[in-house]
Amino acid sequence: MPVCSAAKRLMQLLCWLVLPMTAHAAQFAVNQAQVYQIGSGHTLNATISYSLTPRVQEALENGVPITFFQEIQLLDRTPILGDWWQWDEIIWATEIRYELRYHDLSQQYMLHSLDAENHRNFTTLTSALNAMGDITNLILPPAFTKSTDNKILRLRSGIDLTALPSPMRPGAMISSKWDLTSDWFEAIWPSD
Amino acid sequence: MALRLIRRLSTGTAPYFSLAIMLLLLAYLLSAATQDKSRLNDLFLIIFGIGISCLLVLAGLLTRGLWRLYRDFQRKSAGSRLTLRLVSLFVLLIVGSTSIVYGFSVHFLQRGINSWFDVEVEQALNDSLELSRSAFGIRMRTLLRQTRMMAGVLSELPDSSLGHNLRELNRLSGALELSIWNMDGRIVVSSIDNPAIIVPNRPDEAIVRQIKQGEDYIGLDPVEDEELQLRAAVRIPRQSPLDEERLLHVLFPVNEQLSTLGKNVQDAYTDYKELSYLRQPLVTIFTLTLSLIVFLTVLASIWFAVWISRRIVEPLQELAEGTQAVASGNYNMQLTASGHDEIGFLVRSFNQMTQRLTQARNASQRSHRLLEQQTSYLTTVLGSLSSGVITIDKDLYLRTANVASSKILGVNLQQRLESSLDNLAQLNDNLQSFAMLIKNFTLKPMAWEQQLELSQTKGRQTLMCHGTPLPGETGWVVVFDDITTLIQAQRHAAWGEVARRLAHEIKNPLTPIQLSAERLQHKYVSLVPTDQAETLTKLTDTIVHQVEAMKEMVNEFSDYARSPGLQLEWLSVGDLLREVLTLYQSNPQHQFALLNSQEDLQIRVDRNRFRQVLHNLLKNAIEASEEAGMSVDIIISYHALRYQHQRWLEITVQDQGPGFPAEMIDTLFEPYATTKTKGTGLGLAIVKKIIEEHGGDVWAENLGADGAGIIIRLPLEDQQT
Repeated sequence: MPVCSAAKRLMQLLCWLVLPMTAHAAQFAVNQAQVYQIGSGHTLNATISYSLTPRVQEALENGVPITFFQEIQLLDRTPILGDWWQWDEIIWATEIRYELRYHDLSQQYMLHSLDAENHRNFTTLTSALNAMGDITNLILPPAFTKSTDNKILRLRSGIDLTALPSPMRPGAMISSKWDLTSDWFEAIWPSD
Repeated sequence: MALRLIRRLSTGTAPYFSLAIMLLLLAYLLSAATQDKSRLNDLFLIIFGIGISCLLVLAGLLTRGLWRLYRDFQRKSAGSRLTLRLVSLFVLLIVGSTSIVYGFSVHFLQRGINSWFDVEVEQALNDSLELSRSAFGIRMRTLLRQTRMMAGVLSELPDSSLGHNLRELNRLSGALELSIWNMDGRIVVSSIDNPAIIVPNRPDEAIVRQIKQGEDYIGLDPVEDEELQLRAAVRIPRQSPLDEERLLHVLFPVNEQLSTLGKNVQDAYTDYKELSYLRQPLVTIFTLTLSLIVFLTVLASIWFAVWISRRIVEPLQELAEGTQAVASGNYNMQLTASGHDEIGFLVRSFNQMTQRLTQARNASQRSHRLLEQQTSYLTTVLGSLSSGVITIDKDLYLRTANVASSKILGVNLQQRLESSLDNLAQLNDNLQSFAMLIKNFTLKPMAWEQQLELSQTKGRQTLMCHGTPLPGETGWVVVFDDITTLIQAQRHAAWGEVARRLAHEIKNPLTPIQLSAERLQHKYVSLVPTDQAETLTKLTDTIVHQVEAMKEMVNEFSDYARSPGLQLEWLSVGDLLREVLTLYQSNPQHQFALLNSQEDLQIRVDRNRFRQVLHNLLKNAIEASEEAGMSVDIIISYHALRYQHQRWLEITVQDQGPGFPAEMIDTLFEPYATTKTKGTGLGLAIVKKIIEEHGGDVWAENLGADGAGIIIRLPLEDQQT
């Protein structure tokens, strides 16, 4: 929903202005991302580490489903003033969304892929997070990867706060304990 | 800029209504944003931010309004006290009532939300979850045993027959899926009940790790549609240490009824837990929203209270200022009437009152002006009267006196208003006689008339006084006329008649007498003896001379009695005087000095008669000096002067003689009033007659050591061009 995301961005901007946060002690991070060439196509392998804050874990254990997103963008970078100033154009973008919830009866963590409409169960939170953070063989659209010159593939991940139950949302939006979105990480292209 | 905006926002009625509508809208949006399913939910923070901004703006406006109120109060400007009192009252009401409502609302909110949750319900849910787990536990233990047995069976089989036996085991055990995995996570063989599924369900890392540590795994496993199945994983015993370590992973179906029940318990438990967890944020959000709306309402209400108080007090303030203005004498104050309430009625009444006051004041000013006009009219009339008019009150104090009264009595009475007659009597003898007369006649309240003789420096003065009591016995009005001139005129007229008759009766026989005497001398001088002839001649000469003198006298009488037939013409006074004086220059014993006026004065007179006047005056002066044996030294001066709103020519003929005897000064200008041995005694009478014919006046003054002077005063007319 564009309104929601715009609002979220605005809120985040407001929060950054109003509450300057110096440290993100527990933040998501893209550990590595590598593009492989398989035939004429390209695939992406990446690992993302998700370290949840106690607040998020508490919500999860209390039956609140948490939605994660993994945003992947393919940019066409045009240098204007060498490395000083570059013009980036998003030529392709995708978002993978997962919903993680705790199943009390079975005492398992259910990871639901919202795009693939399938789910997996995990006995521990760590294994669920590891499974979610493991991107293997994600096929990039061949139409955009014919030439890899000046192409940048970058990704990041975070929690979708707008998917939280409404009473929690305002608090989460202004709290640093919920702002765990990783920085953009640029994937490494295979050397020709 | 911001100040101007605030000022614009804080004037007039429009901002208050727009503010009220804005607040209502904001309250609606806030309440909508707190609804769970609302689209505005995501905008909650923005709407809340707008609310906070509104709160700040309102607080600013309110602070400004209150500061202005406080400043007005400090300055003690009209109406500020009442405004402050009203505002305080409103604020007390608003804050009091809103605090109560707010307190109860927060209380109910928290109690209401907390009442959704119950320890007993929570315990029951926990228990039901535990019960469900126990129910599944029995089956799980059975299945784990079954799985271990299957693993034992499979361990003894060679890899080649594993697939077949696995399918057999699958069929026998009623499992959904059987699969054998090595510890690296690679599948060895699998058997799936559902032919639609090709890839077997992979055991998760934690299970594999658990198996590696030698513990078998059995657990509930939720699948799509929230259905449940049971997952079991056991290590397949190795026949020799060299064999690959493997695990058997089995998925068993769960009885449908049990699955549904388990799902219901899970859903209820999760929902309750989530709701319970969300309780605090919910209360916070609701409380925050409520507080914001309450604060906005309170601030807006107070702001409105300040505004409405000012609005109520404004006409009263205006009224107070108007009253002050009227008290300080400004009756033109008109207030702007507003509304049809009691205050509007008050304002209209005030306006009517000031209008009436203005009208009354104007009427009083008009009548005052009229009175002044009438007074000045009367004063002018009295002032221009030739008769003296004075009024005295019943205590005999002088109240009014006109100009003529001062002139007649020779004392400036207008400077002595409010003084008693007794005080006036002490000024001189004339006033004493005048005061005595009035005092005598004012004893009885009736009109009186009396003639009074006074002696002035110019001579005897005769006054005719009339006294009339004022209405209401408040005093007297005394009118008196100087009738000296009148009496003199009557006397002159009588003398004129005598002279005319004498001239007529005596002149006729004189010529025969004279002729007879001359003939007597001529005829009989030769007949009488020589010694007597001389006597005869002497006697007849005497007769002739005396007759001649008598003729002369009769001519003068005739001159005196002649009726006026003036030949008026414009003459230069200086020229005329010099012309007459040349006739007297022949005698070196006589000294004449002519003091000219600075301007050339032209006067309209009969040349011959005016020359006669000058001759008579000069002759009179010369004779007076010669008779007294003094040197003849005559000074003639003339000048113009302004007297009684008219220009006059004044000619003074002054000699160094002994002066006029005091007893004669009144009758000097009457015929035969002479001290001289020579002359007919008609010289000055003729002078006076001619001067009066010219509309002038003549009088004599003794100047002490400087001799005496005769003064002529003639009216000067503007020369016609």
